[in-house]
Amino acid sequence: MTNLSPFDIQARPNRLLAQALSCVLFVVCIGLYMHTSVARHRENAEDRVVPSGHQLVAGIRSAVLEPAEEDDYIPADNASTWERLRHSMIWKDTASSGGRFFISLALLIPFVVLAVHIGLFPWFGAGFLRFFLFFDKIVALSLLPILFIAFGIDQWSKIALIVIGVAPTMILDVTQMVKAVPQEQIVKAFTLDANNFDVAYRVVFRQVLPQVINSLRLNLKPMMLFLFAGEMIAASDGLAYRIAIMRRHMGMDVILPYVLWVALLLFLIDFSLRMINRRLHPWFQA
Amino acid sequence: MVSGLSTPEMTAGLPVFGEQAARAVSKTQVQAAKSISVEDVSVSYALGRAARRSVLENISLEIEEGEFVVLLGETGCGKSTLLRMLLGQERPTAGQISVAGSRVERVDARSGYVPQRYSLFPDRTVLDNLMMGPLTSKFHILGRLRPSYWEARRAVKAEAFRQLAHMGLQASDAGKYPYQLSGGMQQRVAIAQALMMKNRVLLMDEAFSALDPSTRSSLQRLLRSVWSETRPTVVFVTHNTAEALFLGTRLIVLARESKDDAFGSRVTLDMKLAEGGMTLRSHGQQFLDLVEHIEAVSCGQRLTAPGERRTALHACGEESGGVGPVRVSPEDGVRQ
Repeated sequence: MTNLSPFDIQARPNRLLAQALSCVLFVVCIGLYMHTSVARHRENAEDRVVPSGHQLVAGIRSAVLEPAEEDDYIPADNASTWERLRHSMIWKDTASSGGRFFISLALLIPFVVLAVHIGLFPWFGAGFLRFFLFFDKIVALSLLPILFIAFGIDQWSKIALIVIGVAPTMILDVTQMVKAVPQEQIVKAFTLDANNFDVAYRVVFRQVLPQVINSLRLNLKPMMLFLFAGEMIAASDGLAYRIAIMRRHMGMDVILPYVLWVALLLFLIDFSLRMINRRLHPWFQA
Repeated sequence: MVSGLSTPEMTAGLPVFGEQAARAVSKTQVQAAKSISVEDVSVSYALGRAARRSVLENISLEIEEGEFVVLLGETGCGKSTLLRMLLGQERPTAGQISVAGSRVERVDARSGYVPQRYSLFPDRTVLDNLMMGPLTSKFHILGRLRPSYWEARRAVKAEAFRQLAHMGLQASDAGKYPYQLSGGMQQRVAIAQALMMKNRVLLMDEAFSALDPSTRSSLQRLLRSVWSETRPTVVFVTHNTAEALFLGTRLIVLARESKDDAFGSRVTLDMKLAEGGMTLRSHGQQFLDLVEHIEAVSCGQRLTAPGERRTALHACGEESGGVGPVRVSPEDGVRQ
């Protein structure tokens, strides 16, 4: 068999090579970072902009095992690792941001249901579709001052920001998915004595659910973006709040682990949703 | 546009003691056995501001219980539109349609339906696809909490396996998803799914068009045998003449109006019948003898009177010059 150039569309790397290639950019990034860090520390041993490996480990340790500065809690000398972890800065911030994130996620469910109705029932479509088409064009962040006035600066303003930012896009997306369900399926369901409820939830919703989950996966980052925007502007805890606070102290040894932690969390949520989709909807993978 | 009047011979099979008496007797008998009735139906679509495109005009049709009617015609002649109206998916601009004695207003469980594509629910296994109809019919969402649900489910499951075997599928196929089945197997399941509802009317829209010739042929034989056993009223849409002749007891040829040819539908009929290497003379007659009615509708004229079937078909064959020996290829199918 002839060796094809790597730039040939028909050329395929073997499994091992493909895995090695997928690691290359990670290694390059880490290498570049280490190089920059070493170079800067050679000039200034106290440099905090590009922390060294030691500084990063210390930063992670303080984030994971020590309470936040604003907290009154002081761990006892003999406190267990679990006890320290439970009162740590990263745990507190993750719990706060996670709570807002998952409440927003739950609040999106009724909008998904509404979208199914908009796509399926012409009367709902007539009533709602144009409104959401327009609403989708409103820049959610421009509503933030109004949300702060309406909901205060507590968590509900951030939750509202996420929902307002993501819901219209999801509604339009799910509406399109529902409209794409072949008409034959709907007609067939009616000929099998299904009523409107059956058609909506036992035929159409079941068929679009894997796509809804995929849409949710694509919206994870926008959701986190809106959450971060809200937390950075006004919050007393949360992952983005901590990053904003640390920026004032040039605390890159904490900011970088936080950034990677948020990325890891999103990756894990995305991975879980992908696994759920694969397990629950084997037919969709085909 | 297809227009005209197409009615089966009301007096078919009845001794005629005078025209009026025959009409009176036949009318009551046909009323009793009438499965589908299409009365003066027209369909047109708006094209822009004032223009309208007429698809069907003043179509009248009576289909008796147990008939196997094939709607034959070229693409765009309105046969699928007519089927959608029988289903209740589309409403006529004028006229009315009745199925099983009541007017069709919306899609409901009066008729079984087998489309060309997307005939199965992709998110359900074969068994779930088969069981969906009867269970949905008996138990809506809260009804599933009743203890009788499980008993009924067992019975439906047994029936589903029986239908599966009847369609020539294995019990091991029950747990498969539609994507794991070939096109032919999917259509077998789709027919079984419709039969599970015990409908007396089965509407099939180009149900075998996407299949390869040998699968198509075996499914035609299967459908024919299923129909022979239970005798539901079948309305089958196709553009394949060989299939139409093989399956139907009554053929209705729809043709588009042609400006160039005042007898457009005659020509269409002629072409259609010549299609598939099938001519209408000599051996071909054995197929046609099994077709009880053949009607062509176009341009406001009924081209074949019910009694003229054979004459018209002979004429078509001769006009087309297709008088060679009949070639019946495997894909044409052979009626058992």
